[in-house]
Amino acid sequence: MERLAIMTDRQTEAEIIEACKQGDRDAFRELFETHKDRVYTIAFHYSGNEAMAHDVTQQVFLKLFTSINQFHENSQFTTWLYRIVANACTDEHRKRRRFVPFSPEIEVRTMVGKSSQEETYHRRQVADSVRGAIGELTPKLRLPILLKYVEGLSYDEIAESLGISIGTVSSRLNRGHKMLARKLGHLRGEFASGE
Amino acid sequence: MMMFTKHVFKDLSAYCNGELAPEQSQRVREHLLACGRCRKEYDEIKLGVNLAKQLPLVSAPAQMWSEIEELLDERSRKPGFEAKVPRFAFAFSWYRLAAVSAVLVVAAVIGFIWFSNYGPRAAWTVDVIAGSAQIDGDRIGDKGSLAVGETLETGNSSKAKVTVAMIGEVVLDPNTLVRLVQTRMTEHRLALDRGRIYAKISAPPRLFFVNTPSAEAIDLGCEYTLEVDEAGRTLLHVTDGWVALMRDGREVWVPRYAMCESWPGIGPGTPYFEDASETFVRLLERFDFENGGDDVFKALLAEARERDTFTLWHLLSRVDGDQRVKVLDRMIELVGLPKGITREGTLRLDQDTLDAWKDEMDTVWF
Repeated sequence: MERLAIMTDRQTEAEIIEACKQGDRDAFRELFETHKDRVYTIAFHYSGNEAMAHDVTQQVFLKLFTSINQFHENSQFTTWLYRIVANACTDEHRKRRRFVPFSPEIEVRTMVGKSSQEETYHRRQVADSVRGAIGELTPKLRLPILLKYVEGLSYDEIAESLGISIGTVSSRLNRGHKMLARKLGHLRGEFASGE
Repeated sequence: MMMFTKHVFKDLSAYCNGELAPEQSQRVREHLLACGRCRKEYDEIKLGVNLAKQLPLVSAPAQMWSEIEELLDERSRKPGFEAKVPRFAFAFSWYRLAAVSAVLVVAAVIGFIWFSNYGPRAAWTVDVIAGSAQIDGDRIGDKGSLAVGETLETGNSSKAKVTVAMIGEVVLDPNTLVRLVQTRMTEHRLALDRGRIYAKISAPPRLFFVNTPSAEAIDLGCEYTLEVDEAGRTLLHVTDGWVALMRDGREVWVPRYAMCESWPGIGPGTPYFEDASETFVRLLERFDFENGGDDVFKALLAEARERDTFTLWHLLSRVDGDQRVKVLDRMIELVGLPKGITREGTLRLDQDTLDAWKDEMDTVWF
């Protein structure tokens, strides 16, 4: 919903993509503005590294814009986009894994609404712990979690984006959730109410 | 009357995420009311879901669009009509002189670095982090140099860091004794006689080795700790990547989050995950190194959790006959028989089948 709200009223996603195929730079810009934060967020949480997130995001949009003609209307744009994101993350990770450690201590420019300073601080602490724990998951478990909780993709869409079966998505998420819970069991109290 | 239905572990994340069809969802809900084990699992997964939902959205850097636009422009730009500089003009220009000089400087620097790291008198830099350290019995200051054949020893409350050529570092804990055995382009080898080291290596596999009294640890791209006690027993704990532990032709690959012991005269035991229960680890030790009998074997299988199928998978090829059947039965009891894998192939130790097990278990183990 949020994603659609960002789109201008005058154009639907399909129209924007069609305009991109014609080489319309404004349409590219619009597509970029619509998806940039989620793409960046996934790359950032995947790598725990701002430089890599920056490079991956850049590569993703360059790839997107230079191969937009290969996108067919009968497939879903988000799954196509996130397949590019997943591939870029995996490739970059492969290239850098020996040299770039996950850095859970990085200060992030989060997009939070207005709230009290104490509340913001507390929420940031929890988010930092989650980020650190996600960084300790294997890449195979990390990507489905990010696609699910950053982009809100369905199991079907995650399966298509990652080129795996829905059963594998389900089992990887199961495993990922359990590992997060084990690593951050001390935060259980945070969610006691409202369940 | 109590209805016994199939456990719903595998559907719990999908259930929490509202991904199940209404009738499946209803089945899970009803099962959770009746099954304490699945309810416990559900609580864990629900917590994981709630935690994952806390991931913040991060805003992309503001200048990113202009960078992308620039790159797009670069790609679409056609070659212009700049006047070409004739080749001979470049041949006599000072640019060429500068380029040749730069190449020579770079070559000299590389040669110097290569010689100091791999030459016949190569030595590793030692930094004392805390307390004091000795090289070949002589106390060093804050820094020292460890040459091939020399020993480095830390005291009761000392710590020292050794820079391993250009491929990583090794930190020595207190009361640790190491010896530099070899350092050359194709092999860097340390001997750990006593104490504990932490190694972090960024190099192709099989370039960094550590000898201990009971095994040889081979770096396959990783981060790990290696400990040798007074009896010469080795304990490996891998925190990232893989390490192979080898002795007398027996090689055990230990992945991250896993540990493995090796005893003098016996060699490496069966690896296990760091979160395995103490009872499980003790039983495994008795089985591997103390000729634990059938009772130990049975207790070990009974103590295994889902994730310990990692250890059981390794055990498959260490035991035979009836014991192998029991190991496999316990694995199936814990995780089921994955699709496409046969009992027969597993019991035959067919390599493809064992590899398929490993692939299928990837998400359970890691």
